Amino acid sequence: MNIKANTRTLKIVAACAAAFLAQAAHAVTDAELEEAFFPYKKGFPTAPGLKAGMVINKSNVDQFKDIIIPGHFKLIKDGWMEIPVAATFDMPLPKPYIEATKQHADKVKLGTTIEGFVSGRPFPQQPSASDPRAGEKLAWNFKYGLNWGDGAIIYPFYWRYINANTGAIERTMKFEFHFLNFMHRIVNDPKPNITPNPSQLYRGTYVKVHEPLDLKNTQLLIQAYEDDLKRSDAYLYLGFQRRVRRLATGQTTDSFLGSDLMIEDFEGYNGRVSDYKWKFIETKNALMPYYKHNEMKKFHPDFKEADGYKFIGFTGKANCTPDITWQLRKVHVLEGRPVDAGHPISKRLIYLDAQIMTPSMSTIYDRKGEIWKSFQIGKAHPDFHLSINKDSGIPLDDSGSVIDLQSNHCTAITFRGEIDPAKNPATIFQVQNLRGGD
Amino acid sequence: MYKHKRNNNFRSYATKYTTKFATIVSLGLAAVTLTPQAFGQESLPALGEGSSPWKVDVFYENATYFRGKDNTGNSVGLSKFRNTLQAEADKDLSNGWAFHGIFRGTYDGVYQLNKDEYGRNAGGAVALESSALAGTPGHYLPFGQGVVNWATAQGIGLPPSNAFGFNSTIPGGQVNPSTSPAAVANLPYNPNQGLRVLFDRWGNNPGGVQVAVPVRPCDVDNRGCTDFGGYGDKKRSELESPEFNSKLDFIREFYVKKNFNLDDGKQVFVKLGKQQVVWGRTDLFRVLDVINPVDYSRNNIYDELQDIRIPMWILQAEYRMGASDTFQDRNVSVVWNFDQFRPNNLGQCGTPNSILDAACILRAFKSLWDNGGTIANFASALPPGTPGNGPHLSTDFGPHTIGIRNVELPDWSFKNTQLGIKWEGVTAGGFSFSLNGLTYRSQLPSLHMFNVGALNPFTGAIVNTSDLIAFDLVYPRVSLIGGSADFQIPDANLAVRLEAALTHGEEFGNSAQASGYSKNRVFRSVIGLDRPTIIPWINEAEATLFSAQLFYQHIFDHELYDRPFGKVGMVDWENNFTGTLLIRASLLNARLNPQVVLARDFKAHAFAVAPSVSYRYSDNLSFNVGANFKFLDDDKRLHFADQRDSGSFAPFGAYTDANGNTQTGPGAWGLSGLVPLGAFRAGPIGAAWREDEIQFSMKYKF
Repeated sequence: MNIKANTRTLKIVAACAAAFLAQAAHAVTDAELEEAFFPYKKGFPTAPGLKAGMVINKSNVDQFKDIIIPGHFKLIKDGWMEIPVAATFDMPLPKPYIEATKQHADKVKLGTTIEGFVSGRPFPQQPSASDPRAGEKLAWNFKYGLNWGDGAIIYPFYWRYINANTGAIERTMKFEFHFLNFMHRIVNDPKPNITPNPSQLYRGTYVKVHEPLDLKNTQLLIQAYEDDLKRSDAYLYLGFQRRVRRLATGQTTDSFLGSDLMIEDFEGYNGRVSDYKWKFIETKNALMPYYKHNEMKKFHPDFKEADGYKFIGFTGKANCTPDITWQLRKVHVLEGRPVDAGHPISKRLIYLDAQIMTPSMSTIYDRKGEIWKSFQIGKAHPDFHLSINKDSGIPLDDSGSVIDLQSNHCTAITFRGEIDPAKNPATIFQVQNLRGGD
Repeated sequence: MYKHKRNNNFRSYATKYTTKFATIVSLGLAAVTLTPQAFGQESLPALGEGSSPWKVDVFYENATYFRGKDNTGNSVGLSKFRNTLQAEADKDLSNGWAFHGIFRGTYDGVYQLNKDEYGRNAGGAVALESSALAGTPGHYLPFGQGVVNWATAQGIGLPPSNAFGFNSTIPGGQVNPSTSPAAVANLPYNPNQGLRVLFDRWGNNPGGVQVAVPVRPCDVDNRGCTDFGGYGDKKRSELESPEFNSKLDFIREFYVKKNFNLDDGKQVFVKLGKQQVVWGRTDLFRVLDVINPVDYSRNNIYDELQDIRIPMWILQAEYRMGASDTFQDRNVSVVWNFDQFRPNNLGQCGTPNSILDAACILRAFKSLWDNGGTIANFASALPPGTPGNGPHLSTDFGPHTIGIRNVELPDWSFKNTQLGIKWEGVTAGGFSFSLNGLTYRSQLPSLHMFNVGALNPFTGAIVNTSDLIAFDLVYPRVSLIGGSADFQIPDANLAVRLEAALTHGEEFGNSAQASGYSKNRVFRSVIGLDRPTIIPWINEAEATLFSAQLFYQHIFDHELYDRPFGKVGMVDWENNFTGTLLIRASLLNARLNPQVVLARDFKAHAFAVAPSVSYRYSDNLSFNVGANFKFLDDDKRLHFADQRDSGSFAPFGAYTDANGNTQTGPGAWGLSGLVPLGAFRAGPIGAAWREDEIQFSMKYKF
């Protein structure tokens, strides 16, 4: 028995040593950077039978099952939506982000949590199935991904709650969203960090509701800590209470204001890396909702702006899916399972765009392991959008939907995003700012 | 002799509850930090010059409520048919200023649709008890026919100058038969019409004091009507549409605001105008949230606070310092309430909502002072010197003997304005807290026995005494220091909210004091716990919120003494706890929300449960169906010294105890009953326990 025990111990030590070696930082080569940030330099991906200009629908979707995330495959199969295919295009990230990656990635490693990260993409190397922490590294990559850059505003930001059985629009929300990176900033001053920042906040998200009346002036502030083991703080200002209310963090996995999204779902995934056990599945090509906003043919008929900006419209069953084109892109397939047994979901399957490192496509499984929701965030090329976004290099969240396949309900969202530091001062992300509300 | 001494305990209960049942240093700091350039570049706003259009939302709401039987067995029926039209307007002005306004008009049809209960036909004739005559036809005699009156008083040896008796029979007035030159010469008409017996809607007080109170709108019956501070003297149309008054209450909010950005990244935030300023972090209870008074007449404690706070003209200035090396957020704010003082609106007797039945107590005692009246079971039937504390006889008091003489409302003056300061921050660890200080005026009335120049009803002479059952109503100055905090306990998925305050200057009714009141320091605190919980059998996607709170109040230097017939001192409990629990589920994407609110007043042994279901049909149309049930264990435990035995005019009316000791001067011996102080022990829940209600409301946004 002692011999058996010692043998087991040795095996564990050996495995740990191997794992440690796998996590140790090493210098990033130009080839690795090239593959990470310019995956289409050698050509755009192809798939058998797939051509730009075609439409994938329930009659031909079986042919493309391997390039469509399971949730959306089911949606197409069930007639919820179709996918108009367009040509793939490159969306190179800002040079400062790539330079920061080159400069700092060799110092980054994984211990209990991430160590040595300064800015850029923490783990630019291609994920490997032989790396037991490859999934975790991908999760860090999107946590510290470019996202909205150092800061951005989305306003107006329309959400519609739709009963897909009847097509009835239950609610129309008009939001204002702001994002700000307190740390690891790459473009806007101050860089790399806003100081003082004694709490070591990494990122702030500020939300204000403008419509409808019953929720008007509701504000939400989420402060995510740099320490991934520390839960985010969240504060809610309720207009009807005229005061700020501290939220229990569990409310980040509650339906957000009745929508089909949880706070945890924001931007594809908005929780802590440590909230999930991550597993890298594979790298492959898949259809992603990426497009050039200004080249879309139809826009939303109800939402209009004085300057002529047009919002992405919706189509398909009950108008639940954005009326956009899709393209074949290189993705990393990532599986996350919540650590908390009481979490409302059992698993989320994420298609992480290899170039942008954004979880644009997710299939969410309920506690029984059955497909519950399918989530997409459409990315718009910044050079084909509002002029203020041109040359920012930041792919823009521009449209999206969360479809609850079990209750036949959806939340359809359409954005007006602006990369404008002037509209995003750090003072917005202070708790006291909420108290100035109406 | 009977003495109702104290309504002062309004404050302890109404301060602790709210709805739904819920300095100079800073100025100087801001001034130092603000550079002249900062203000020089920022001129005052100009309405209409902003680039943004007006944003106006208008909605209509109907609230229709029904009540069942009250304690008399009377079916109340319709208790609210309130129609509200509200407009909310916003506009970005020039130079970074923004305007926000809320305008509200209400029409409550209950005063015409249920006029027998709340309108021109409310109340009726009442009879008042003489326990000494139990079993005889004289046991209950009509108001105005008290056993002890001017004539019968002479029968027991009092002089013709005695001031007992009043005019219940002759419209237009009657010459006072009293020969006392100090007594009122012309007795006003005070008929046995449009009356109810105090507390009869929710309690019984056999053998105890009973007082008749007029209940019709003041344009129909102005007895007991006076301005207690913006309430208490309303005619029907003013009750129907309370916002349209001299205070322009239809303007709920009207303010401009702006952030001044300073060169160092800090800000000064200014909000000026008619507004609500909310301090604190708890629901339902008002510990720090005391800057704006509250209108309890709208729906007792059961409306959202935002709808019943009385907005005041206030200047708020916040110096927002942002993060430092030790705090993630820091700010100091000054609140200057420069509006003329307004107290809480406690309602008007005869309307559906009279928190703690205070409006009825006030109206009854104001009418007693102005007109006189019959009080049940007041004069002892025992011959002088006979040991014992009963039985009693109903007694007709003349005007200017018992009741509320004057209401002293503070005029506007600089020193009568109210000033608060708050330091608020978030520590590096995410602990959010505030420290608060406020000098203000009590929003609840205090009754001071004036004692000097009292009319002795036995002789008709003017005397100085103490423990007099006649008062002036005042609103004392109060100072408050306190704080609040919130934090989360991630492992338990809990948000914790804390709030505490210590006040100086609050006044409480105190029958152990010759003046009938005492100033006591009061500590109040609330701990609240919020836990959103996914309960799969309710909803797997949307959490059910559990929100529990425990309120605690301690009165320092509390006085309560044993006397021959019971206890005297402060009717308020020295220590009291109230607990609340809200369970709110969310279904159909938060469009269907069943909830239940439970509340327990531990000392009063009162309990309330309020289930409701709200359904949002669309963004513009929503419905709510609810109910409100209250329970009270036993009103005997609410009995407290009613001061029939206060001995203000001893040897007249002096009692003798079992040992043969006779009162020789003022000072109550503890003769007790439910009236008039039991309501304060019952609290807002217990005093309304026979106001069970079914509620329906509909809201439509245009």
